[in-house]
Formats: sequence, C-alpha cells, structure tokens
Amino acid sequence: MEQGLLHDFEARCTQEEAPSCQSMCPLHVEVRPFVKFMAEGNFPEARKILDRLMPLSGVLGFLCDGPCTAHCRRNTVDGAVNLPMLERACAELSAFVKPMSMPGSGRKAAVVGSGLSGLSAAFELAKKGYEITLFHAGAPGGRLLSLPTKQLPRNALPDALEMLERLRVTFAELPVFSSGRLESALADFPAVYVGLDDEAVQSSEYGTALLEGGLPDPLTLAARGTDVFAGGLPADAGPSFILEAADGKKGAASVDRVVKGVPAASAREKEAVYLSTLYTDVSSAAGNPAVIPADPAAPTAAEAVAEAGRCLQCRCLECVKHCPYLARYKGYPKRYAREFYNNLSIVHGQRKANTQINSCAECGLCAVLCPYDADMGAFCADVRREMVRDKRMPPRHHEFALQDMEFSNSAEVAFFRLEPGRSECGWAFFPGCQVPASRPEQTEAAYAHLRHALPGGVGFFFSCCGAPARWSGRPALTASTAAALREQWTINGKPVLIVACSSCLAFFQAELPGIPARSLWETLAEFPLPDAAGPAGRTLALHDPCTARHAAPMQENVRKLLAAVGQEVEELALSGKQTRCCGYGGLAAYADRETGDLYSLSRAGDTRNTLLSYCVVCRDRLRAAGKPSLHLFDLLFPREDAGQAALRPPPGISARQETRLSFRRSLLQRLWHEPPVRNPLMDEILLRIDDAVAEKMEMRRILRDDVKAVLLYAGEHGAMFSNAASGRSLACLRPRQVTFWVEYSREEDGPYRIHDAYCHRMVVPGVPGEGAPSPCTVEGYAVKGGRM
Amino acid sequence: MSTADLRDTDAEGWVCVTCGTALERRSVDITYMASVFKVELPRCPKCGFTLIPPELALGRMLEAEKILEDK
Ligand code: SF4
Ligand code: SF4
Ligand code: SF4
Ligand SMILES: [Zn+2]
Repeated sequence: MEQGLLHDFEARCTQEEAPSCQSMCPLHVEVRPFVKFMAEGNFPEARKILDRLMPLSGVLGFLCDGPCTAHCRRNTVDGAVNLPMLERACAELSAFVKPMSMPGSGRKAAVVGSGLSGLSAAFELAKKGYEITLFHAGAPGGRLLSLPTKQLPRNALPDALEMLERLRVTFAELPVFSSGRLESALADFPAVYVGLDDEAVQSSEYGTALLEGGLPDPLTLAARGTDVFAGGLPADAGPSFILEAADGKKGAASVDRVVKGVPAASAREKEAVYLSTLYTDVSSAAGNPAVIPADPAAPTAAEAVAEAGRCLQCRCLECVKHCPYLARYKGYPKRYAREFYNNLSIVHGQRKANTQINSCAECGLCAVLCPYDADMGAFCADVRREMVRDKRMPPRHHEFALQDMEFSNSAEVAFFRLEPGRSECGWAFFPGCQVPASRPEQTEAAYAHLRHALPGGVGFFFSCCGAPARWSGRPALTASTAAALREQWTINGKPVLIVACSSCLAFFQAELPGIPARSLWETLAEFPLPDAAGPAGRTLALHDPCTARHAAPMQENVRKLLAAVGQEVEELALSGKQTRCCGYGGLAAYADRETGDLYSLSRAGDTRNTLLSYCVVCRDRLRAAGKPSLHLFDLLFPREDAGQAALRPPPGISARQETRLSFRRSLLQRLWHEPPVRNPLMDEILLRIDDAVAEKMEMRRILRDDVKAVLLYAGEHGAMFSNAASGRSLACLRPRQVTFWVEYSREEDGPYRIHDAYCHRMVVPGVPGEGAPSPCTVEGYAVKGGRM
Repeated sequence: MSTADLRDTDAEGWVCVTCGTALERRSVDITYMASVFKVELPRCPKCGFTLIPPELALGRMLEAEKILEDK
C-alpha cells in the first residue's frame, strides 16, 4: 500500500489530536489526565502531570490566567472548566516535587533577568543538566515580588528559588545591567536567554540595545545573532504570567538547540498555540454548571474535585461508540490503519492483524458518523485487496463463503428463464441467493405477484450477485462473476432487474452500472398490496440493512409499504443512513464468528420490540442472536404459520444450499414444467444427524453434502477405518482445500448415523483426494459443472 | 519444522478396512502453506492410509494452520 493512502486516512481521524484546551494552552499542559486525577482527588498525581510541562508549577500554578478556557468544549454547554482554579488548588494541595535532573552534562548557559520567564528558562535548562548562571539585579523575582499574598502565597517564590539553587542554578547579582559589564560576563557562555519581563532588564541599557534591531523572532525568540534569545515582553492585552513562562520555556529550548549544534528553528511545529481539530460530541453533557469557590483565592479540595468532574475528557470516538468491531480492539481508526499498514509490510513473522482486518463489516457506518468522513471499511477493503494480490490472504477466512457463492452460481442452482409463455420480458426478478434459501415459498409468491402486477413479462434470474467476491478482496473473481451476470442478462433480452436484496442491488450499482436494476420494494410500493398482506400484531422495530445505508428511496419505499399494511413501526436511534450491520457485511462473521456475533447482538440490544428487516440475512442473523425477528416478506407474503414467523429458526449452511436446490427444482417444475434433474447418488444417501452433531457441523462449516461425499467415496473405494469395539467406521476425503472426516455407523434400516464430522486444512499423505485437483471426484457433489 | 507442537493422539481400536491391518504409529510428513511437520500418526503399515483423530484436527492442527496462514 502506498504510504500516501495511509497518510490520507490518518489525516482524517482526529482522535489523537489534543483537546482544544491543551492546544490553546501556551504550555500545552496535558489537561485530560491532570483533570482526571483532580476529579479523583488524587492531587499528588495531578501535580506530577502538571509538572511535566509547566515550569515552576509552585508559582505559575497560582498565576495562570487561563487563555485556554475560551476554547473549552464545555463553553457551549454551561461554561468552561475552570482550569486556573484547578491548577491553583493543585499547587496548594500538593507538594512541590523536585524534578529529577539529568546528571551534570557539563553544558553551560546563561539567563539574564529573574522575572518568571528568566526563572522558567533557568528551570528548564537546569532540568536538562545545564549549569546555569542567572544574572539579575536586586532580589530575584521581578514582578512576582510585588504580588499580594492572596494571589501568590508567601512561600511560593522562596521555595522556587531554593529549588533552582538545588538544581545548580547560580544566582549572580549585578548592580547595573550596563551593556559592557554584561557582555563581558556573558562571553563565557555559548548561548543566553534574556527575560525582558524583568523590569530591571527591560529598562536597562542592555535590554534597550537588544530590542533596537526589532522584536525577537516569534518562533525561536532569537534576538541577536544566533546565540541570544529574548522573551517575556507583554502581549497587547498586557502582561501575562503564563505567556512569560511559555517564553522562558521556548527560549530555553532554543538555547538548548544552539548549544547542541542544532538550528534553533528545527522541529518546532505545534509549539505555538493552535486550534485543535478534535471533534467532541457535547450533546449529552448534562447541565452541570461551574463551581464557584467560596474563596476564589483558596478553592477547597471538594470544590476542586467537583469542578474537575465537569471536564468532558474530550475525545472523538464517534465511530467507536457505535461499532462493536472498532470497540473490540480497544483503539480507534487512526491506530488501526497504522497497524494494518504495518501488517501488510511484515515479511517474516506473524501477521497478527489479519483476522481484525477481515472482521470489519465494511458497513460504512463509521464514515457516516465521523465528522471527517474517515471510512475504516473502505480502508479495510483496500488492505484486503492488497493481501489477496500479495497472496497473503489467509485461506480459511473466506473459503466457505466463496465456495457457497460458487455453488449458488453453478449450473445445478443458477438459472434464468423468461416468464412462462413469453418470448421476451421487460423485467426479471432477481431474488439473490439468500432470499430463496431462507424464504423459498415467499420468493415464489413474490414472483407470482410481480407477474400479475407488471405487464410486459417478468423473467426469473436465480444467481448469487457476487458480493462475497467483492467483500473478500478479489477483484478478478468479482469481475468474472459480474461478467457472467451480464452475459445472462444480455442473452435474455436485457430486462430491468427487480432486486430483492440490498446487497445485490449495491453490487449491481457498483460493478454493473450498465444494467438497469431497482429495488423490489420500490416496485411493490407502486402497486396494490398482495391480498394476504397484513401487519404483525405488535410494534416492530425497523432495521435497515447496512447495504441500504445510502439507498434513501429504498428505505422510504419500505416505510411506505409498512404504512400501507398498517404496521406500527419503531424507528431505531441508529437507522437509515446511520444503520448498523448484522455482522454479515464484509463477510465479517466468516472471518471471525465472535466479532460477527457482537454485531448482531448489539443490534438486537437496540430495542425491546421484535425486529423487522428487509434483508433476509439480517433477519436470520438477528434471530440467531436470540431476537424475535421478521423479514418484510413475512408481512407482505405471509405463510400459514405467520404467527410463528418471528421465532422461526434461521436455516443453517446445509439447509440453505439444499433449499436453493429444491427451490430451483420445484420452481422449474411448476412454472416451466421441466422435469426435476435428480442426482441419484447424492440424493439417495440418507443421513441421521442429531442436533448436537448438526450444531458442530454448523460451527465447523461442514455441509451435509460434504458428509455424503465422504460416505460415497468410502463406499466406492473401501477406504475407511473400522472399529470393532464401537462398531463404527471412519472415512475421509479432501474434495477441496479441506479434508473432511466422518465417523459413522449404518442403521438397521439403511441410513447412515453420523456420530461426528470434523475437518482440517493441513495436507496429510495417504488421504483420499489429497493432491487431486479440486473439485473432487465424487460425482454429483460440489461444483463440477462450471457456471451456468 | 519441529514436531514438538503436533504430537499424535490416541487412535486405539481402528483397523484399515482395505488391508485388514491394525494401525501403527509412523512418522508422517504433513504439509501446509509450504511448511512441513513431522508427526507421529496412526497409519496403516501396508497402504499408508493415515488417521487424523478429531482432537488433533480441531486442536493443535487448527492452531498451526492459523499460525501458518498468518505468516
Ligand atoms: S469518528 Fe472515528 S475515525 Fe473519525 S475522527 Fe473520530 S475517532 Fe477518528
Ligand atoms: S472539557 Fe475538559 S478536555 Fe474538554 S476542552 Fe474543556 S477542559 Fe479540555
Ligand atoms: S464494521 Fe462498519 S462501522 Fe465498523 S469499522 Fe467496519 S465499516 Fe466502520
Ligand atoms: Zn491399509
């Protein structure tokens, strides 16, 4: 993957951006952890955070005027978090901790002026192991000396000075800052910071001379040559302690660079204040107005804790809040994108992110929720295509889905017929592969209804659309599947397709834009309802399938149909454009069953009502998650047992394939009078499988047909093991990239009793079918006929 | 590759039907994704038909498959 693609994506996700309080703090104090500790009443830990970036917090903690507060996200709710008050409380309620200074580095520098900026510069450099000489006139402290004790406690300044001395800062008093005397004293030092907030310096001959050439450079504070830096001048709005301290820190950083031989201007991005792009939803920040301390000069611990509790701990995570997949891995898109990118470039060693990459539902919800349109699903799709291209796609993730697609598109299943009795059709019904597999009678009823409603003939086009090829990152297979669909459509007179499944429709729109295709629901909404249509006896929560997310007309037509049948509907909070995925999208549930379940379970948890979907896979997955669920067909084309429809268990993988076959046979027989093509070998094997074994087979994705193929092969070739003690046999076959084993016995009356079925993918010599080209050699099994 | 993580499991009582022979433990080279493992497995000494018990297929074999697929 090109790095540019990663960077584009990274630039969209702002979760790692600082909150605006921090970005607008001249020192970029790490506000969130600081406030979090304050809210917990853990003042010593809060102090540690403050001390990380704030020089001399024992002084400045009392003096910051909070330029950040104008940018606090809480402003738009009920007033900014009062950070100056919290810092004051923290400085008062916790002890000054002497910073760990680096061992003496042997480096030297000088500071001129003992106002807050000079003291801050000295502190910053001393922490780095510098031996600092600080030149000052009169008692050190500058403007700090004149503050009332209400504002700055009596001990604060002396404590700070004492600590500076312990950090090997030498205070050198000069009676006058005459240029000559100072220059000669400074000659010994490779670089100097001059704190002009110290009145004694600013008004001196030296200070005046320094500013003659203009104001210091705003980025580095370079004032003269490459080794003299100056700051601390009052802003337009008047003097500000926080800006003075920030200047001292900035000047110290310049001095440090110069002494180390690095250009002062290098790597100084984001040092200045900036507007953060971090998005934070404040809509649920309940009214929690600012705490007004009884004595603003001395907030109590309780007052500080309460005020700190108002902080929203600003962060984005808009997408993570609603996507169980994103939440599951405990990160956020920007981090995941980096991890996926790195995963792609691993040559030796485990590609640990494979499963994560393949269990995104590619449902597009994140892109809708993200204020900057970051689409994790589209990113995952790119990554998957690259994995396939590099032959790094783990086979196990998509094999079953692709095999299932191949089955649905094989000559045994797929077909296209014009409406009986017609030689051309303006329309063709395309139910997809899943609707007939789960709702065969109703698919047939819908087809009858369409034939009745639409003049001009309605053909029937039974096939899988090819969505699994697309989701699994296989462009070539996607293209060949699409081409085969186009061919059938062309041969059959290019009818308008009426598509029952939103995933199919999305596939047609993306891959076959030249084929006119419309939603079944749109078509149905244009005609009188079927006679049997009627509401369920209760309110239904409407679940829009994720592949209909951007199909607003389809969503509207479904709602129209529901209104027409008189169905009472609950609109879910996340619906329409913001709907959630059931876990089938992107083949997520195939790559990782557990993540797949998280999707369906979280959707099921969105309502207490029975769910209604117009995608049959959604319906079946939600039902499998334990939720009573209906498909729109259950209202429009109800079966006799309509009352039980919401509880009907979803068909398993074998039943789906078998239903596709039987659906085809019976439809061809009834409408076109084509005799059923039977498959004597496979059809005649009778299996007895109890629920526990059937459940295991479902979990292991073993089809009844796989079992039959093993039995047929064993019967024909005698290749099996037998166990006299248990009376059972054990046989196996490797028809494709999987070896299936079946433990069975023969019942008295003929059928096979299946005791266990399991599979593996490793190749074991001496297993029948191993080395044989897929598809296998058992007649009538799996995909042998090629495409229709 | 080593055999350490793929030792065989019991397959007592099974007989190869083709040869009528009891199985014996033999070292077998099983392969996956260009890696080869030597594993002791119950095998028909005559025809070489090899038995994979369910615990092995669904346990250590599955684990190894996953690791190799993510390589
Ligand atoms: S919504 Fe998600 S992807 Fe977008 S900025 Fe927020 S955390 Fe990042
Ligand atoms: S709510 Fe908290 S994190 Fe957000 S801007 Fe305000 S102080 Fe900063
Ligand atoms: S599952 Fe959907 S919402 Fe979650 S990351 Fe993937 S595309 Fe985005
Ligand atoms: Zn044998």
